[in-house]
Amino acid sequence: MRTHDDEMPKVKLPSLQDVMDADPAGSRVPDPVHGALPPPVRRIVLDQPPTVATPAAPQTRAAGAGAAPTPGHGGVRHAGEPGPERMRLDALSVFYDDKAAVKSVDLSIRQGEVLALIGPSGCGKTTLLRTLNRLTELTASARREGRIALDDTDIDELEVTTLRRRVAMVFQQPNPFPMSIFDNVAYALREQSMKRPGKAVIAPHVHDALQRAGLWDEVKDDLDRPALRLSGGQQQRLCIARAIATRPEVLLMDEPCSALDPKSTEVIESLILELRKDLAIVIVTHNLQQAYRVGDHVAFMYLGDLVEYGAAEQVFGAPRAQRTRDYVGGAFG
Amino acid sequence: MFDRFRAPWSDRRAERVLGALASLVLVIIALMVIFVAIKAWPTLRHNSVVGWFGFGDEVDVQIANQVNGTSGTGGDAFKLNAGPLIYATILTTALAVVIGLAFALFSAIFIVEFAPPRLRRIIVPVVRLLAAVPSVIYGLIGILVLAPFVNDHVISDSRKRSVEYVVQLSGTSLLVATVILTVMITPIMIAIVTDALYSVPKGWKEGAVALGVNRWRAMWTVSIRAARPAIIAAAVLATARALGEGIMLSMVSGGRGFSPNPLDGITVLFEPLRPLAATIVENVESLNAPAVRSSVYAFALLLLFSSLMLSLGGYLAKQPMKKYGIRV
Repeated sequence: MRTHDDEMPKVKLPSLQDVMDADPAGSRVPDPVHGALPPPVRRIVLDQPPTVATPAAPQTRAAGAGAAPTPGHGGVRHAGEPGPERMRLDALSVFYDDKAAVKSVDLSIRQGEVLALIGPSGCGKTTLLRTLNRLTELTASARREGRIALDDTDIDELEVTTLRRRVAMVFQQPNPFPMSIFDNVAYALREQSMKRPGKAVIAPHVHDALQRAGLWDEVKDDLDRPALRLSGGQQQRLCIARAIATRPEVLLMDEPCSALDPKSTEVIESLILELRKDLAIVIVTHNLQQAYRVGDHVAFMYLGDLVEYGAAEQVFGAPRAQRTRDYVGGAFG
Repeated sequence: MFDRFRAPWSDRRAERVLGALASLVLVIIALMVIFVAIKAWPTLRHNSVVGWFGFGDEVDVQIANQVNGTSGTGGDAFKLNAGPLIYATILTTALAVVIGLAFALFSAIFIVEFAPPRLRRIIVPVVRLLAAVPSVIYGLIGILVLAPFVNDHVISDSRKRSVEYVVQLSGTSLLVATVILTVMITPIMIAIVTDALYSVPKGWKEGAVALGVNRWRAMWTVSIRAARPAIIAAAVLATARALGEGIMLSMVSGGRGFSPNPLDGITVLFEPLRPLAATIVENVESLNAPAVRSSVYAFALLLLFSSLMLSLGGYLAKQPMKKYGIRV
């Protein structure tokens, strides 16, 4: 017999203070090599004194960033010690019928960093992303080749529901369920337990998830409000809260800001930087500035090929491939 | 003279014409209810409400007396205890709707979520076709195939003997009536629920699946939840059809104003009965007798009132769902 104590995700809830005290930038050092590169984009950053200790508090970023493609984390790249590898893609190809959407891609996704997938429409970014939690299997015509490992286990060997609990996803269109805010966040927590846990058991987890998604202060007074009455940006943060409520290891984000206004986008971007402390994040984006602002590593895809992969400074500042140069140059030039 | 209809209409004129048509429909319905109520009044007046709705002497004998004018004079001429007919209506309708709804839910989930595309392409049009089959055809199959089969192979002789001093079992029965009625109303429910499940936004389903919930649970917790208004609408429509089904039920229900007794155990399934609508159908020949006419109007009034309550109930049941943004 499984009791619901076994079923409830064993998480140590960080106290409110931990969340407040955490310093996203404090443990990171600037990359001496890439930091010295003088790419056109970086000039904006280099004009400022390099800051190491300044915490990347959302407020300061919001005030200082503006529309320029300033790296969101105050120019401090996560490049010192790469975190442990969570997912590894070996020769991954995806076909729709016989058309290859992703062609033999090798990639690694690390804990504590944001991997941004960029590329023109139809280049296979979203397909690649949806392959990571086997969501492509919902499409009858999709076929996959190659190996994807989550913590060295082939994802095909995992129960698909287990995989999707460990590799959560946020979609392009905010898709809160037609329920209350509370029930939305509690949804996965409840569904993952054999016995339906009571509200009192779940409430702290819901609080924690909303807190980490930066939505708590806005909704704490009325958690019974219908989720669909929230604004677009709030809905998307609610979806993030729902996705991280069960403490996944990897968070996939499929253009999470493309349906949002600039202000909400800014909030979500700072949230991404905040969340990467305990998650590996893969974000698909059309917005190159966004990829630069939030990405630690950037992968540029073109027609299904992984053209270039590297640290964000390198891909945007000194792209190796001509195709990358054209694409990135077009964006900033 | 049709020129004024051919010329483009202003919105104002369209509004007036359409408004008039809609009002006309309302007026006709209201007049019909009033007319039926007036005509039903004698029988309701002469039998107390409890008496009319209740059980008493055998209802078939009472109707026969009304037809032959042998039930007495004055108020006695209208004597009727319609309990068995009402009971039969509730029994067949409720059983058929409950069984049909469960069946429709699972079929619709299968069609939308699990059926291979090739099967789906066949099954969906077939369901729509079944929903449109005239009920009299179902009745014919029931009386020519199902009832004789039940009589010959399902009801044992000892079972027939066990109740022969009360009622004769001949195949046409609660079982056959319920089965045929279920078969009749299920396709329309499948069609409505299937459409509703298709129109659940893909993002909700994907969102649930991406949270590590399997497709069955996602269907159950998100799609069915979101489709509840349509499920209610399907149930209301099916109930209305079952309530009003006369011809088919008069063919397969056994045509006896008998109350199947649940205390008989399994045997209750094989006992005959006759719902209200079927009773109306079976008495069209004897409407010259004023007492029968009034009784039949009273049955009609009861059916009208039931469908009215049904619509109202469906509307009220949908209201709380609006709160969380489920489109009704």
